[in-house]
Amino acid sequence: MQTIQVTVPFKEGLHARPATELVKVCMTIKSDITLIKDDSHVNPKSILGIMSLGASHGTALTVQVEGADEVEAIEKLKSFFAG
Amino acid sequence: MLINEDLIVLNLPAKSKEEAIQMLAEKAAAAGRVADIAGYRDAVLHREGEYSTGMGFGVAIPHGKTNAVTEPLLMYATVESMDWQSLDGNPIDVIFMIGVPADNAGDVHLKILANLSRRLMKEEFRTNLRAAQSPAAVLKVLQDYEIGL
Repeated sequence: MQTIQVTVPFKEGLHARPATELVKVCMTIKSDITLIKDDSHVNPKSILGIMSLGASHGTALTVQVEGADEVEAIEKLKSFFAG
Repeated sequence: MLINEDLIVLNLPAKSKEEAIQMLAEKAAAAGRVADIAGYRDAVLHREGEYSTGMGFGVAIPHGKTNAVTEPLLMYATVESMDWQSLDGNPIDVIFMIGVPADNAGDVHLKILANLSRRLMKEEFRTNLRAAQSPAAVLKVLQDYEIGL
């Protein structure tokens, strides 16, 4: 399993366009992905899951990836959250 | 209250996304939440042009942040199944439309979206919502799930 800590770089928060783009990135990944904010664990392959976090600009999130392409996946997610 | 019976429309007779947004903007103005119908409609359509708010499960959540909105609002409408360019490729039959004044401090609409998204992931909520046959019944379901209070 690969884990990274990120903060939301988008000024409008993690919804709308950034949320849509995150779903698209995650759909290219085969591994299981979990996005964690405090006690909430969601699957970022679902737009509702992402939006349910209500993650505003600067919110700290944990991303966990587990599966065959986890190393490559974590790089994609790092680059997504680099903004 | 973000939503009340005046902001709930069952069987909105819209044939397209654009028409639905126009009709709901008019309804919001009639309910006294929007000062400029065209301004609100255009803000929502502009967003839709950047990415679709079709969230899956047959639900769309269009939203606009603009000073055409005088008071934060949440609207609910059912429509005949229509295309909304949803991520999952399926048509929608339920619309939640959100409006927030541009000057509104903080992340009000992010909170509304988060709460609504959390509920919409639950099948029971979606079933109860679609089963509600009057504005009063819809409002009751929303209140039961603490939405739009």
